[in-house]
Amino acid sequence: MGNDTPTHPDPKGIFTDISVELTGFDRAELGGTGMVDTYYDTLLRMIGEREAGQLFRYAQEALDADRKEQRKDNAAFKKAVIDNPRFGPVALGLIKLWYLGRWYPLSAAYRDRFGSTADDVEHVVSGQGYREGLVWAAAGAHPMGAKPPGFGSWAEPPSPTP
Amino acid sequence: MSNLPVPDYDLVIVGGGISGAVIAKTVIEQAAKKKKFPRILILEAGRATALSADKYDTYVEAYHKALVKVPNSPYPASRSAPQPDVLDIRPLDNTDADPGGQGYFVQKGPMPFGSDYTRSLGGTTLHWLGTCLRMLPNDFKMRTTYNKGVDWPIDYEALKPYYERAEWDILGVAANVEHQHYPGLTGSPEEFFKSNNTTKFHEGSYHFPMAEIPSSWLDQYMAHTVDGMTISLPGKAKPEHTFKIKISNTPVARNSTPAAGYNVVGAVGNADQGQRCQGNSSCIPICPVQAKYNALKTLYELIVKYPDQLKAGEQPGTRARVTIQSQSVATNVVHTKATSTDKGKVTGLTYKKYYDDGAPPQGTPPTEYTVTARTYVLAANAIENATLLLASKAANTSDQVGRNLMDHPLLLTWGLLPENVGAYRGPGSTSGIPAFRDGAFRKDRTAFRVEIGNWGWNFPEDTPYTTVLDLVGGNEDGKAQLHGRELRKRLGEILPRQFRIAWELEQDPEGRNRVTVEDRYKDALGKHRPVIDYDLSDYMKASLPWAAEASRQLFEKLGMKNKVPHLPCEPEKPGRKKARSYETGDYTHYACDDASKVKYGGETYAVRGAGHVVGTHRMGADPTTSVVDSYQRSHDLPNLFIVGCGSMPTLGTSNPTLTMTALALRTGDEIAAKELSA
Ligand SMILES: Cc1cc2nc3c(=O)[nH]c(=O)nc-3n(C[C@H](O)[C@H](O)[C@H](O)COP(=O)(O)OP(=O)(O)OC[C@H]3O[C@@H](n4cnc5c(N)ncnc54)[C@H](O)[C@@H]3O)c2cc1C
Ligand code: SF4
Repeated sequence: MGNDTPTHPDPKGIFTDISVELTGFDRAELGGTGMVDTYYDTLLRMIGEREAGQLFRYAQEALDADRKEQRKDNAAFKKAVIDNPRFGPVALGLIKLWYLGRWYPLSAAYRDRFGSTADDVEHVVSGQGYREGLVWAAAGAHPMGAKPPGFGSWAEPPSPTP
Repeated sequence: MSNLPVPDYDLVIVGGGISGAVIAKTVIEQAAKKKKFPRILILEAGRATALSADKYDTYVEAYHKALVKVPNSPYPASRSAPQPDVLDIRPLDNTDADPGGQGYFVQKGPMPFGSDYTRSLGGTTLHWLGTCLRMLPNDFKMRTTYNKGVDWPIDYEALKPYYERAEWDILGVAANVEHQHYPGLTGSPEEFFKSNNTTKFHEGSYHFPMAEIPSSWLDQYMAHTVDGMTISLPGKAKPEHTFKIKISNTPVARNSTPAAGYNVVGAVGNADQGQRCQGNSSCIPICPVQAKYNALKTLYELIVKYPDQLKAGEQPGTRARVTIQSQSVATNVVHTKATSTDKGKVTGLTYKKYYDDGAPPQGTPPTEYTVTARTYVLAANAIENATLLLASKAANTSDQVGRNLMDHPLLLTWGLLPENVGAYRGPGSTSGIPAFRDGAFRKDRTAFRVEIGNWGWNFPEDTPYTTVLDLVGGNEDGKAQLHGRELRKRLGEILPRQFRIAWELEQDPEGRNRVTVEDRYKDALGKHRPVIDYDLSDYMKASLPWAAEASRQLFEKLGMKNKVPHLPCEPEKPGRKKARSYETGDYTHYACDDASKVKYGGETYAVRGAGHVVGTHRMGADPTTSVVDSYQRSHDLPNLFIVGCGSMPTLGTSNPTLTMTALALRTGDEIAAKELSA
């Protein structure tokens, strides 16, 4: 994952770095889902471009710091994003989005303080988002109703999960 | 009301589900042997969308996009032909309340009726699981053997040839005879299945059209761990009942490796697809490739082979013809009353055709029609058959129409196994434990069937969604409790170990469990909605502690003795303060806002519906206590056949559709033999 990746001046690159950090899936795995662009747009639709820009800036700085100090636990990122009342709830939404393909609305407490857009309601982003939900790969399975593994595959021993 | 001149048919069938489709196919094929060529109309309330391959795919996409994934989520709901929804099973709080806020069923309770069906061409088999177990011999004679319920007017031996035809000619059932270990049989599985058809089966040695669907890794793990164990349950008269456990592969209408001479039926309009089950793991609510049987397959065959439109040069009366008319809701069975000398008969069938969803029928073109035929068949599913008859005040001298509503209420138990068993792979279920399906204990409590689920805790807890939400947490403080690699690893440790069992309890027939109609409860087309009174008998409830105790012993053997505590009133929603620790053990619990709670012997249980809607127009030899005879012919109106699971007098522990199909074949033979010769 991100440790030896150079910093990205482009917001989508930063968005991907953040996603890698939040999901535990590497850039290639996330890229392979074909969902990076869609979820980037989803984030912007939910909290607006300005607030997303702030998230990217804080996250970038933290990731740079973690990288510089070669920290395995990425403590700076955790402090700046996960534990930060301003970005934590957004990170929470992004984790669920990547794993489940659906957007869960930001908490009322968050919205009171920082606001969110009218689009911030529970919804399945797309059929593809459902099919590419990371939860299925994490479970060593495939999405229910898609990507069938073939006749009799279920009789074989499960593949060890990472 | 205005009547267009409509052509007469030999047969009008209400409902384009499996029972209607089987009647049409059987009548045509049997009649052809005698050079008779009936003209048949099938009236279908729902849309015909799924009958073309590309449009079927839009249902699959709808399922993927659905926020809430319940059996009916792929199928567009219509206000003109509304359908029940398992999410809306609340009982009516106040029977005078405005029913508008409720779902389609008017639930009078005390228990909500927890099953649904689909009103779309193809019917409920679009989202069934496909389990195809035959009923056991004692299931047909519950009164004689156990002094419970009623006897059927026919027995297992009489139905056997029709079971064979249902398995081969309609459903395409995959199973191995030697792996069917059922209790209460005097002989081996081979004897239970022994066929009288020695031309097809050498020395009557029966085999299914396809080899069994491979048992899941979980099934194999179970067999390895529990096969041969004995479960002891406390009895009433007898102090203890013992059951030897053997995991058995379950027969199912799902495509597998064919036997010689059997042609596998793939997807409609795309026969190369669905030749084998590919493990999509979404049989309920939709099989994306149609490897699982659905009634569209039979209907498609009919309209391809017997289109109503004659080709240039074809003469009428030289082949059978079938019309399927969708978005046509039958509303009235027009009939004459019996006189002192004559029985009554059906003289027409009124239906409403809708074009704009939910728009009230109006003006031109006329939307209400009455069609006439020689013989009429109601095949609209047990609950719809009953509402239609009750609204038409037809065929009910016995006062049994709508009564004896049954299902297989099921108790779910679930836990986390010590090892990765590869949950979330394969068809919904591939094996079960048949040991509790029959025995002397049925004098005191109902029998049950045990279904082993392959999809983790999806049914009881809506996983994997809720597992992710639980682990990520953050509802309190907005901070993710787990993220990144740690989250991924934890999910990999937990999800593939999730395990659940469904204990499907046989319900006994009771007159008070019933469907009725009331004029104040109607749908957008002005048709009566089903009003349902529903409860469980004490005879049935007595099996709840047994199922729970059997589960306890089984879980212990599987290394899940540890009962993982939960808050006494834990809602089934994510939002617990702290994520669970997910240690190995038994996670069974019931949410206190569960609408389907049952109290018995000081314990609280919660049951779910199985979708097995049975018993609303039961068959019998006596016209004063039954609605139809063993051919599903109305005792009151002899040119009317009322078909489907509603005709079954008792339910046994088999999922009902295979038996229903066998009955429909028998009825089709009868119609071809007696009705068309007039
Ligand atoms: C989730 C689920 C899982 C199931 N799994 C299994 C299983 O594994 N094994 C098993 O044996 N069974 C199973 N079943 C039950 C099975 O689906 C039914 O027994 C079977 O589909 C009944 O067939 P039918 O033709 O009588 O009715 P349906 O399949 O319901 O078809 C009835 C048709 O009639 C139409 N109709 C209704 N009203 C009217 C009207 N007024 N006018 C015109 N048309 C009308 C409907 O639109 C529908 O097309 C399951 C059911 C559910 C809900
Ligand atoms: S497991 Fe998949 S392919 Fe097989 S029947 Fe179920 S949905 Fe169809």
